[in-house]
Amino acid sequence: MKGRLSHRLRFVVGLALAGGIGVGVSFLLLKNEGQQAGAAREQRKAVVALRALTDLVERAGNRGEPVRRAVAAWQAANPSVREARVIAFEGISLEASTAPEDQGDKAAPRRLARDEKPLHDQGQRLRTAVTTNREEGGARKEEIEIASRHSGALSLACPVIEDGAVTGMVGIETRPLAAAPHPSLLYPMIAWLGPLLLLSLLALLIGERRLPLAAAAVFCLALGFGAYAAYSLASVARQRIQSHEAVAEQVQAEAGVARSVVAALGLEAKTPLVPGSWDADPQRKPRGFISDEGKLDEAVLKANVDGSRGQALRALILAGVLALGLLLAIGLGGVNKLAATLVANRQAYLYVVPAMVGMLVLVFFPFVYGITLSFTDSNLYNVNQPIAETWIGLRNYGDILGDLGIAQRAADGSLVFNYLNFYWTLLFTIVWTVTNVTIGVSVGLLLALILNTKGLALKPIYRVLLIMPWAMPNYITALIWKGMFHRQFGVVNQIIRLFGGQGVSWFEKPFTAFITALATNGWLSFPFMMVVALGALQSIPADIYEAARVDGASRWQQFRAITLPSLKPALVPAVILSVIWTFNMFNIIYLVTQGEPGSSTEILVTQAYKFAFERYRYGYAAAYSTIIFGILLVYGSIQNKVSKATEAI
Amino acid sequence: MARAHSEEPNHGLLHLFLVVFTFLTLYPVFWVFTIAFSGKQSLALADLPENPTVLEQLRAILPWPERWSTANFVSVFTDQPFLQWMVNSAIIAIATTILGVFLAMTAAYAFSRFRFPGQKAGMMSFLVSQMFPGTLMLIPLYIIVVQWLGLGSTRLGLILVYGTTSIPFSVWMLKGYFDTIPKELEEAAIIEGASAGQIFWRIIIPLARPALAITALFSFMSAWNEFILAATLMDREDMYTAPIGLRFFVGGFSQQWGYFAAGSIIVSIPVVVLFLYLQKYLVSGLTAGSVKG
Repeated sequence: MKGRLSHRLRFVVGLALAGGIGVGVSFLLLKNEGQQAGAAREQRKAVVALRALTDLVERAGNRGEPVRRAVAAWQAANPSVREARVIAFEGISLEASTAPEDQGDKAAPRRLARDEKPLHDQGQRLRTAVTTNREEGGARKEEIEIASRHSGALSLACPVIEDGAVTGMVGIETRPLAAAPHPSLLYPMIAWLGPLLLLSLLALLIGERRLPLAAAAVFCLALGFGAYAAYSLASVARQRIQSHEAVAEQVQAEAGVARSVVAALGLEAKTPLVPGSWDADPQRKPRGFISDEGKLDEAVLKANVDGSRGQALRALILAGVLALGLLLAIGLGGVNKLAATLVANRQAYLYVVPAMVGMLVLVFFPFVYGITLSFTDSNLYNVNQPIAETWIGLRNYGDILGDLGIAQRAADGSLVFNYLNFYWTLLFTIVWTVTNVTIGVSVGLLLALILNTKGLALKPIYRVLLIMPWAMPNYITALIWKGMFHRQFGVVNQIIRLFGGQGVSWFEKPFTAFITALATNGWLSFPFMMVVALGALQSIPADIYEAARVDGASRWQQFRAITLPSLKPALVPAVILSVIWTFNMFNIIYLVTQGEPGSSTEILVTQAYKFAFERYRYGYAAAYSTIIFGILLVYGSIQNKVSKATEAI
Repeated sequence: MARAHSEEPNHGLLHLFLVVFTFLTLYPVFWVFTIAFSGKQSLALADLPENPTVLEQLRAILPWPERWSTANFVSVFTDQPFLQWMVNSAIIAIATTILGVFLAMTAAYAFSRFRFPGQKAGMMSFLVSQMFPGTLMLIPLYIIVVQWLGLGSTRLGLILVYGTTSIPFSVWMLKGYFDTIPKELEEAAIIEGASAGQIFWRIIIPLARPALAITALFSFMSAWNEFILAATLMDREDMYTAPIGLRFFVGGFSQQWGYFAAGSIIVSIPVVVLFLYLQKYLVSGLTAGSVKG
């Protein structure tokens, strides 16, 4: 079958698949968007109703007969709401309720029953949210709780505020909402099958000519997909506008209800009603689409519609590029060739596939995903939004690499370092790596030379005992040393006191904290160098030294001319390896110094981890990690050259 | 250094140096043993009075328990969920080993014996993947394993992650060994009418048993010692692995150093024994791979 498929058939099949996928993806996007927009609209309408009721309750004085009358009047005018409850914290009482189960002997006002504790808890949660947001000066916690019931109804609750203090809660539950209508299947079918038909006709005219066929196929795809994409964009925009209009209508309706209730109950109060503020987000901030009187603000509306259209457009372009790639891959024979290769080497691929699939899903995909994240400002609050919405291009990289403010002059002229600065951490990492490797190599080499002494008794025992630090799991080593450097009970300070010194607060100054990590890592890294060097030393034949001595070479000359050169091929790779290990030695820093004091002793990898898992700046942390990867890559290519050079010697 | 090739049999100074150095090296190990067998949770090796004498101060740095007690070992298993954590670690490490070695040996066989498009790229990609910084992978892995696959706080999640991340190293080790098995054996088997599957299972695998054993032991050790992924993916206390459990004893405001020390000894013994047994393969494997780059 190789290569013998007709071009025409390939292009038609390619268009069928590509068009199907392109239009299908767009259809799903549109459907999803419609459902989300519908749900958001119903929520906003419910919030408007809830806030209107809350406004009335606050005007009625939060408790007593006026509240009950206001709630009853409001409920009568709001058939879409199934029940409403008002709770006052003082006396834990149910002040008003229109719920069917709260009639008769359970009618308000009464104290909340034990099984109604969740209501009380919800009120307390809202109170905490309001005070927390006020104290932090931000809007982090939700001040309106919205939950969907299984039935499709919404349950909402909002705090009641009296002179700035939260004294109660209003909760409503809507009747089950109608499901959002599905978008029509007719248009996508036309957009898919129409071009297919067209291409079949064109193919008859063109014949077996590859490039004209490709041009025709691309044209047909552009026609069908483009038309459907335009339709999708238009309906996204239309849905948005309709949503806003529906909410504005709801605001006006509620305003009417509220005015009549105010008039009927004689609640004429100090401030006029502001219906526009009822359309609020969960932090009770007005969304700004609707004016105080309940009119839509055209300029804000337009910006919002343009924003959502832009987002949809980006997603559609992506789907279009995907479809185009697929069409050309199939039409020009790429897929066909790929299939042929797969079949020819099926045995080899069969053996490789299980490992490759695992690697793709859990190694390569996370890697690509991580790099993608580095171009977003993804963080704890927006992590569930699609990537297109948080895309910020290269800004993270600019923030990390462009911030040159390592240090500042303080008022008294001393230097104050900014320990969160990338270059500080990079500098510290380099110092950390260089000192550690130097210590590891010198101690390891010294021990190897001693252990290599001819005729030394007990050599195997020393060797095994000295390897112990390498054999122990390094996280245990790290925690042990952390304990030994404890300020009060640590054994290191005991030794210092024994010699008449004062105990040191190891983790309060960058330098002493660095020493603790250095001691820990030095301890666990010298055995590796020792073993490597010892192996190399033992492979030097003894008669070389013999001959050198006969020639009258001094010990130092022997060391320089024989020992060092023979060590080099073993030590260079070992040093390269241990540079990478130390550079990435997460456990020691993370467990011993924990970056204390004030992130001054973080190395790049622990800093990246903290940005992700303690400061929750996922995008920033991903960019940070990508830079680390770049550094390692550069180092790796240099290493490659160096090792090749050593091999040549 | 000048003494390195001394011919005189008098090595007194060298022995003195080695004994002192070895004692210093092993001091942290003695320290853990002392705390573990002290029967207390304290970090101090001895309780010091208000104004200690020099002798008492010496006592406080001597790594020898004031009173021997196995209480920490007993209660780490009875009062603390440490047994559960050990079981989790053991299940995860064993399953990781089986999964990782199986995936690696088939792939290594293909890379060693077949010529196919993508072969070089595949081996290269395995090598480069060793350079991916862990912190870059953590967030996506968390999203994939916890949010998409719903395997947060499950052993299966960790097994899948450990198993796949161990593949590149294992494939490189095994491929190197498979390359040394003469092709004539397989050719003879083909003449006898053996299928590809038979050759792999009946000839290659039995011959490669030593390399498989080493690869398996390395996979086991890396899963047994892994800390940060487990800390990220395991939220529930009963699903902790031993490393997170040990951190739990002494991290944050917790100061149960006795439990930590006893647990550390129990966790370390198997890996230390394995390590001492394996170290010569480890050194040659690591440095050889690095020279070839």
